[in-house]
Amino acid sequence: MSSSKIPPLTYKVVAECSVSKARAGLMTLRHSEVNTPVFMPVGTQGTLKGILPDQLIELNCQILLGNTYHLGLRPGIDTLKKAGGLHKFMGWPRAILTDSGGFQMVSLLQLAEIDEHGVNFRSPFDNSQCMLTPEHSIQIQNAIGADIMMQLDDVVKTTTTGPRVEEAMERTIRWVDRCIEAHARDDDQSLFPIVQGGLDVPLRQRCVSALMERQVRGFAVGGLSGGESKHDFWRMVDVCTGYLPRDKPRYLMGVGFAADLVVCVALGIDMFDCVFPTRTARFGCALVDSGQLNLKQPKYKLDMEPIDQKCHCSTCKRYTRSYLHHIATNESVSCSLLSIHNIAYQLRLMGSMRQAIQRDEFPQFVKDFMAKHFKTDPIPAWIREALAAVNIQLPADPEKEDQDLEKKTKAEKRQETENVAEEQVATS
Amino acid sequence: MKFAIESIKKNSGRLGKLRIKDSGPELRTPLLLQTTKGGSIPWLSSDVFESHVSRKPQVLQFTLSTMDQMAEALAQWNIGGGRGLSDYVGLPGHLNILLLRDPCETTPSGGNDRDIQPLFTRRGKESLTPERYMEMVASFKPDIYQGLCDADTNLESAKKRVQKSVDRTEKFMHYVYENRANVESTLLAPIVGGYNTFARTQSIKHAREQPAGSYGGYILEGFHTNGLSATTLDSSKLLPIVEHCVKQLEEDKPRIMPGAFAPLTILELIRQGVDVFDTSYAYCASMNFKALTFSFVQDTKEHVPFLDITDDVIKEDFSPPMNNCSCLTCQKHTRAYLHHLYKTNELLGPILLMVHNLHHYITFFETIRESVAKDKLPELTELVKNQNTKSQVDYSIAVNTKVITKATMGKGFAAAAV
Repeated sequence: MSSSKIPPLTYKVVAECSVSKARAGLMTLRHSEVNTPVFMPVGTQGTLKGILPDQLIELNCQILLGNTYHLGLRPGIDTLKKAGGLHKFMGWPRAILTDSGGFQMVSLLQLAEIDEHGVNFRSPFDNSQCMLTPEHSIQIQNAIGADIMMQLDDVVKTTTTGPRVEEAMERTIRWVDRCIEAHARDDDQSLFPIVQGGLDVPLRQRCVSALMERQVRGFAVGGLSGGESKHDFWRMVDVCTGYLPRDKPRYLMGVGFAADLVVCVALGIDMFDCVFPTRTARFGCALVDSGQLNLKQPKYKLDMEPIDQKCHCSTCKRYTRSYLHHIATNESVSCSLLSIHNIAYQLRLMGSMRQAIQRDEFPQFVKDFMAKHFKTDPIPAWIREALAAVNIQLPADPEKEDQDLEKKTKAEKRQETENVAEEQVATS
Repeated sequence: MKFAIESIKKNSGRLGKLRIKDSGPELRTPLLLQTTKGGSIPWLSSDVFESHVSRKPQVLQFTLSTMDQMAEALAQWNIGGGRGLSDYVGLPGHLNILLLRDPCETTPSGGNDRDIQPLFTRRGKESLTPERYMEMVASFKPDIYQGLCDADTNLESAKKRVQKSVDRTEKFMHYVYENRANVESTLLAPIVGGYNTFARTQSIKHAREQPAGSYGGYILEGFHTNGLSATTLDSSKLLPIVEHCVKQLEEDKPRIMPGAFAPLTILELIRQGVDVFDTSYAYCASMNFKALTFSFVQDTKEHVPFLDITDDVIKEDFSPPMNNCSCLTCQKHTRAYLHHLYKTNELLGPILLMVHNLHHYITFFETIRESVAKDKLPELTELVKNQNTKSQVDYSIAVNTKVITKATMGKGFAAAAV
């Protein structure tokens, strides 16, 4: 059978959790097999900052995310076409997913306005009026040649309420048809529609049913992780996965904190992306089960342990917290070293979840993870509620031991959230 | 430290065997040290260096000006023998040498106050007394360390400054020689004195007055002030003074000259009898977006010393940075991609350039040792000098002053979306 006869994306559920909605799957793309649930590191401009493609393969990374807006700007679609697509241009043999560029348009560019034709924006070069239409986004994504591409959607702030939310949802559905129509490489690339509908359950339901009528190979859940309350967040995810078909992969855009990943896997999400692990690395932070270590803090100066004793990444094999403390944010190699560890952490977390699902021990995994992650801190109510909604009951919080510690951790958590909120505005 | 000369040729310099530690490997000179910053090979994790540049044991060149803030941690790390300085920076199994100044960056001039040696660090100027210096050496426990010296001279230095550098060095070294028994590391005797033969002779005399076994080799400094300044040295001025020094040094001790010398200058210095160099030239090239492409393999084609990654003509050039190069960068990536990484200010750009430039430079030194062994250094020098062109090629490196503006970003996206 010739390769062009095989669809560019096949997905099969390998195992399902008997308690929650979690599932493990195998997605086969033109450039790679991808075991789900999967975390996709973000390589915005045709590179994952400071990491060689060979190192990503070493970490068993199967799929990367690229940003259409940035790639369209530099190197530009002519160069990408001449290079034979992004895979060849950046020397990455495995799978790639690209976004539509619309999110960056709205978040990065001033004066971006959306109407029925597309996103109006001022050119960053000469300030002239330009427009990104669904057709343009697809043309560019066809030139990039990613295994999975995203429709252009009408993005509104998650905190928006009123008729604008419904308009955006309806327009997103109209635009997916234009994207499907413009898609010129359906034999190689799969186009995912994006479920919109703000924080409104009926709108989300309507959007899912409308999108399910289209011929697509997977779905993205968009318009979340932008500052809405966690309570709203998990409910929207839960609603979407409740209606999406079982036999197609589901991608939750822009989610990547460890606890969020665990909860959303329990809710039935298969794919995630987030800049957080690599961005926080550039600030000198290393991810561990209990959250993150800010290695710039003086307490690590004489700490001769690796970041994580149990981690098998090349950074933990060779480097101490003490040395990393001294070079973090000073020597650029520290960015590579911490990014490697943080991506290894994310990928290992996803791998552990896949294994737990396959052994049907996922609920226990979730309980163990939350205990390690929050330690003596109370587990946030939204996590308890979200997990309870999929029949995972977390044990009661232990008695508080140290008031100060709790305060500090909360401050750190707030910092994390701010970092990511900032990043979502300026992915670069 | 053991050093044995294998051969000395009038036109090709000397070939030697260097054993830094009894348990360590035997290294061959002319030797290339791996320059580091803050203990790491610039931009490269130990994993990347060992997987893609070299698996062979290296001698790491550490500099106090980029590592002084680690003294307290290293003192603790090294308690009870410990695992050693190279292990601490994630490069176990490699030997090391501790210098004062970072050859990659220009060392500021001045600050030469009474009894202290300025150390220019990331946080500004620190004042080193000989006492403090020896304490730090004791904390770091390098395999080799240099003697404390004032090397704040270059071709332009006034006679008075040159003389002061010699006098101050003598004073510092007086303390170092007296207290060297407190550290186990091998000492390198500093030779300073700018371009003044009298001052150099005085500096050498002070070193040679010491009892046998006081030091294991020589470090020649004060010819340049590091950074790009070393890439532009005038050989006609440099070589006579180096020759003047070398003939007064004991033959059976290695001679080290740190700095980002141009490849041609390296060959000329080897001919004069200098044994040990470093990779700061590869750093300076990478830092300024140049891929080293000079040829050291005899052929008849014309070659250029560098590929300028900032040049827009390579925007859609999908050939490797250098043809026939076996490094990861040239095997897997293109000029166009490097140019894109430059334009987007991405960290992978200098990483890929450093992989290539170090690979190229290490191979260059392998060729040098072969040429010295076969007494063919003049032929290699001729090739490196002209690159089969009609005139001498320019190996100096200038600061990249190009600014990436939105206007030069390319209009790919806007063009598509208009």
